[in-house]
Amino acid sequence: MDPARHLHPIPARAGARGRLKAADAAAAPPPETRRPLDSGVEWLLDAMRSVAPGALADIDAEVDAKLGRLSVSQNEFGYDPWGFSPTAFRNPLALMALLYRYYFRVELEGAHNFPAGRVLVIANHAGQLPLDGAMLITGSILDVQPPRLLRAMAEYWMQTLPFIGTFGSRIGSVAGTPQNCEDLLRRDEAVIAFPEGVRGLNKTWGKRYQLQRFGLGFMRLALATDTPILPAVVVGSEEQAPAFANLAPLARLIGAPAFPITPTFPFLGPLGLLPLPVKYRVSFGEPLHFTGNPHDEDAVIGGFVDRVRREMAAMIERRLRARSGVFF
Amino acid sequence: MPKILITGVAGGQGRLVARLAATSGFEVCGVDREPMMAFSDGTPIRVYVVDLMRRKFEDVVRHERPDAVVHLAFVRHFRTDLATRHKINVAGTKLLLDYCAEYGVRQLVVVSSAYAYGALPENPSYMHEDFPLNVSRTYPEVRDIAEVDTLCSAFLWQHPEVRTAILRPVNTLGDSVHSAIGTYLKQRFVPSILGFDPMMQFLHEEDLARAILTSVERKLRGIFNVAGPGAIPLHVAIEEAGGTQVPLPEVALRPTLQRLFRLGLYPVPPGAIDFIKFPCTVSDEQFRATTGFQPQWTLRDIFTRFRHERERAAA
Repeated sequence: MDPARHLHPIPARAGARGRLKAADAAAAPPPETRRPLDSGVEWLLDAMRSVAPGALADIDAEVDAKLGRLSVSQNEFGYDPWGFSPTAFRNPLALMALLYRYYFRVELEGAHNFPAGRVLVIANHAGQLPLDGAMLITGSILDVQPPRLLRAMAEYWMQTLPFIGTFGSRIGSVAGTPQNCEDLLRRDEAVIAFPEGVRGLNKTWGKRYQLQRFGLGFMRLALATDTPILPAVVVGSEEQAPAFANLAPLARLIGAPAFPITPTFPFLGPLGLLPLPVKYRVSFGEPLHFTGNPHDEDAVIGGFVDRVRREMAAMIERRLRARSGVFF
Repeated sequence: MPKILITGVAGGQGRLVARLAATSGFEVCGVDREPMMAFSDGTPIRVYVVDLMRRKFEDVVRHERPDAVVHLAFVRHFRTDLATRHKINVAGTKLLLDYCAEYGVRQLVVVSSAYAYGALPENPSYMHEDFPLNVSRTYPEVRDIAEVDTLCSAFLWQHPEVRTAILRPVNTLGDSVHSAIGTYLKQRFVPSILGFDPMMQFLHEEDLARAILTSVERKLRGIFNVAGPGAIPLHVAIEEAGGTQVPLPEVALRPTLQRLFRLGLYPVPPGAIDFIKFPCTVSDEQFRATTGFQPQWTLRDIFTRFRHERERAAA
């Protein structure tokens, strides 16, 4: 393979220091001004440290060890070209690891299927809040060898929200445009996309574990960049916040993609956003390789997409049949 | 000796390009609406004080017959009213393009701006040159930037005999340029939007001058982003520039700026807010691959210099 095709010019810009271990830079740059969300995360972590010092000591040690092994490109100020910062990522990751180990008690299968180099992780999406994405990101750092950073393709809507959009960028997500996805893949990064989008995330209880219509864009990008697709499924997220209804007109009014009504939201206010402590069962399938013309008709691309979708449906079915319960 | 004509030569960027061209073996002449101070080191240059919209400008081009033209004569501030600004930028460029075709100019470099893409939430982090120029959607006061760019793109295809390069540089900082972003970052207390911290790219004025001259020397044809050494979040830029960030909720900031701008108390219209809210960052892959250009100023250098100049000015 011609090495030049991996040489996208953006890395050249990443600064004289080039690719280095996150831990090196995490030590180097001065502590950045505390943002409200960072302070909130830190406050939560400190609270947990006093409640469960043992668990937190384990989490702190594991997160620091895994982050230290994460290969990240960054400039002299500690940011990668998309705004990811290992320093800013550290505490949110610890919080997510806490959820991963002690709240959702994630059982991850198929970590060995994770290929080296560029990869497009395609996952199902459910549970009103994108915690399935957060747990996949966390699992790819804690349980995959070597740890990989999953770059999430975020809804444009996220970018328009104060704090949320910025927070997303610092922990590695990017605006979900095809150009961003292609740029990341050409730099051999691991990208995660949810082709169901909000159709999956905000579906109602009656449609649980039914994969919604998949967008085709991810397959065109995989073909264009010769990227293997890693199917991933999360079982458990459907039960974390069962929605009776989605008030679409209200959602439109506030410019949100959906307005779900769950047993707790909006009746309990912000507290109603808390997911139920379900058990997450996560699987990475075997990588799927496709070759073809990325500009082919929808019917052809749709055929490839269907193969990914069928594979994911079978994986979901397998995990559903094998599970002993929703909460354990 | 090839002859180069620089429009807007008395401006900060114009002087830098003029000096670099003179020391790189060009015969340099320039036009500007304002008279220009001669170079203290005696770098030779002929300057015509003339408005692009006046007949006399055509006489200059006819008389000088430059081999190359660098077009930098743009009004980028809002101290003149919007109609006049639009006329100078768009109609002025149109006249210049006509003269370039008529008087046998072989190389034209137009310095447009990456702002032409606009700052929108759905922007990819690295926009390429074929990305639509969306700036007027949210910031109509600067639509002349996109219009000038489009006018020049059309000229590029209609007149292959004039090799035309359109450069779209990112935020430019330096001792001599007067950029909106420089003015913004020089404030003691720098207002920003609560909860937003977009990635921003910065380029040093000397690197931009080198990029312009490289385009002339390499007889560049096409449209090119010029991005500089890299990107940092806005809050890092504010800190590195030596200011104190004051995050304000957008609901308060936007109407306040609108009112202050109308009263002439604030230098930029509220549409500019989007540039400190959403990313407007570009890929310069093409420019680097075509010219081999590498910026010499790192982000650290640019901001160290910026802070130094600011402290010197304060002292």
